[in-house]
Amino acid sequence: MHEKQFLSPADVAMKLDISTATVLRMIHAGALPAIHVSERIYRIPSASFEMYKAGTLRTGGPAPRRRVKQQPRLGKGEALPEPHGDSVAIAR
Amino acid sequence: MATPSELQVHLGRLAVILWNYGASFPIPTLDSYQDTGNLGFSFAADLAGSDSPGPAIIKLSEIWAPRGSPDQFGRTEYEYDFVEHPLNRRRAFHLSDPDFYPQEFGVLVHEHCEETIGAPTCGHYYGLPVTAYEAIDRFTSLWGRPGPLGCASLRCM
Repeated sequence: MHEKQFLSPADVAMKLDISTATVLRMIHAGALPAIHVSERIYRIPSASFEMYKAGTLRTGGPAPRRRVKQQPRLGKGEALPEPHGDSVAIAR
Repeated sequence: MATPSELQVHLGRLAVILWNYGASFPIPTLDSYQDTGNLGFSFAADLAGSDSPGPAIIKLSEIWAPRGSPDQFGRTEYEYDFVEHPLNRRRAFHLSDPDFYPQEFGVLVHEHCEETIGAPTCGHYYGLPVTAYEAIDRFTSLWGRPGPLGCASLRCM
């Protein structure tokens, strides 16, 4: 059976046998990862829900550091736009 | 402005957000570039879900340069990209080539928007500066939702 990629707060509420309001409180508290689609719409990635159930959601921590000889050039391989001579007008 | 320690925490927070969405990627590192003295990072995360013809990818890169004191850094360049192979489209927020864009276009940043990968109406669009957190929010709000990205509402460079 094809697993849904995203769940609604109501889907999660049904799976956990809790109210949708409780799910929304979990989202607002940061306990359940959710994507804010618009003002009042959230989606929960199925992978996030599975990690929540398994207790394997990660918490923050500093990333490791390392020394690198050369700084990468951002924008590499990307053609620059053609100047069109109205930069003065744009800058005003 | 941020200290190197704060940047390590910043990068760790970005990684956790993506990991907790089910993304897979190697542990990212905050890199000290010996040739410039700048700090930065670059990593690409494969999002969970369909991977045909490829996964949806979020790529985050930032360069931070010393500002004033040797322990304070400011963000000078970034590239935040969302390439959604399953829906064959791309969205991106860039601050790159900081010598070129202000001189030619009066702005530091630009955006990319491709309703169909490889067939953009414009190669570059005017945009607004964003943080990596805002970029992730914008990308994930599009992720897996068929329909237009809204490129037609953007202004071409």
